[in-house]
Amino acid sequence: MENKLIEIKNAYYFYDPEEEGKEPEPALKNVSLDIYEGEFVAVLGHNGSGKSTLAKLCNAVFEPARGTVTVDGIPSDSEENGDLIRRKVGMVFQNPDNQIVATIVEDDVAFGPENLGVDPAEIRKRVDSALKSVNMYEYRERQPHNLSGGQKQRVAIAGVIAMQTKCIVLDEPTAMLDPMGRDEVMDTIHKLNKEMGITVVLITHFMDEAVKADRVVIMDKGEIITTGTPREVFSKVDFLREHKLDVPQSTELCNALGIKGCVLDTDECVEVLGRILGGAV
Amino acid sequence: MSKAIEITNLTHKYTQSGAQEVVAVSDVNLSIEKGESIGIIGHTGSGKSTLISHFNGLLKPTSGDVVVDGTNIWADKETLRNARFKVGLCFQYPEYQLFEETVYKDIAFGPKNMKLSPEEIDERVLRAAEFTGISKSMLEKSPFELSGGEKRRAAIAGVIAMNPEVIVLDEPAAGLDPAGRKSLIDMIKAYRDSTGSTVIMVTHNMEDIARIAERLIVINRGKIALDGTVDEVFSRSDDLVQWGLKVPEITEVFTRLHNMGCNVPRGVYTVDEGVKILSRVMRGGAGLG
Repeated sequence: MENKLIEIKNAYYFYDPEEEGKEPEPALKNVSLDIYEGEFVAVLGHNGSGKSTLAKLCNAVFEPARGTVTVDGIPSDSEENGDLIRRKVGMVFQNPDNQIVATIVEDDVAFGPENLGVDPAEIRKRVDSALKSVNMYEYRERQPHNLSGGQKQRVAIAGVIAMQTKCIVLDEPTAMLDPMGRDEVMDTIHKLNKEMGITVVLITHFMDEAVKADRVVIMDKGEIITTGTPREVFSKVDFLREHKLDVPQSTELCNALGIKGCVLDTDECVEVLGRILGGAV
Repeated sequence: MSKAIEITNLTHKYTQSGAQEVVAVSDVNLSIEKGESIGIIGHTGSGKSTLISHFNGLLKPTSGDVVVDGTNIWADKETLRNARFKVGLCFQYPEYQLFEETVYKDIAFGPKNMKLSPEEIDERVLRAAEFTGISKSMLEKSPFELSGGEKRRAAIAGVIAMNPEVIVLDEPAAGLDPAGRKSLIDMIKAYRDSTGSTVIMVTHNMEDIARIAERLIVINRGKIALDGTVDEVFSRSDDLVQWGLKVPEITEVFTRLHNMGCNVPRGVYTVDEGVKILSRVMRGGAGLG
């Protein structure tokens, strides 16, 4: 994890137009963040904190009003560069029904590379391998509307992979899914990160998803207020609550009991409590 | 006549374009008492939303009966109309359904349709706004000026303003941040406690449902797979996984500790409850195990 893939420097973004002599409330305020190749970064923040705006800077859907965003050495300061950046950084959104365009699964996955003008034989190869990597190859000839939410999200992810992007930005990809669908999608994202080295930026409200990231970024009022490893960040229970966030239930339990150190998940929690309570660990 | 909703042999079939029939709800029998607090859980596509759309006659059963407050809602037009006021349905992402110029007018939309007097409408709007934490100044704003969480509350206020005997909420907290989620669930709880209304909540979030429901109904493949108390349902964690569901994280922790021989009970569903039990055990008392 040496190379910076995404460099955001002192970025500002405004949704409201500037009124005479008066600067509107910024959606992003002086945000600086480096994301390294192969990293898994989770971005947390309450509704309206600027998370999704930050995500849209990462793949040049938005250009910063001030400051710079550079992806793999390319500054996002023109439409041409924006197109180049979107070949490197793909995006997956919250609603599985809003991002599937074709009537057959494999056509949907082929949509991105087709638009890039990739050679048909090469497209075939990419589609097959992308569908295999998200564990949806056997569904390649199905109709997307017959799939579950988790399956649809995995098809959307395959569509990004088929474009051979270096990074995937996912904006609350599991918000509308049932528990198993959430697990399927999260397992897939982790596998792509570990096995294919794809950089992941995951925007989420689920704390149990964030604890598995390499690094957690917390936003509030358009600013990054803290970053660190999950253990560093989730040990600050009161700080997180002040910013309308939470910690996983295991962390909350151990913290309320005054147990030292920061427990992040059920395995750690059972181990720590089992030792205290004298169970057969 | 203490039943709020009584459903017998309800089947609902959809016909797809290719003339292929899909059975979304299959021979469901369900009886809901007045004042109950119920969670309906099931994976995506299990038939939950199709089922609840029958509670106030939004969908007509292919076969079977839906009886609300003692009357078959499909008896005649008037009964059906009344059922829509008795059972208030709040869909997923209800904020997309806000459309009036002001939040006040949006909340007043339902009561207006009920042809109530202007005074009664005003009273109901203010009461619903109070329940949902919508301030007086917010009432005069355009719904589009509100934040995501506020819009959600405004939409729920619109249903509450109809004074329904039963309120059905489909994923009311989806997409909200943790604080917004918690305060919304607290709000629904407080509403139920003070009005005694029947509350039915559909959700994928086991932690949320554990905080509010007394009875859980698991839907799988269009049928009721399990119907019981929170204890009964969450003690079947292996079956829940089969149905695409889970137990709350805290429940998993206590179940595993219990199975390891620790002196703690299995059935713990909220963190507060867990903290109380463990504090007692760690002080050297009995853990109710």
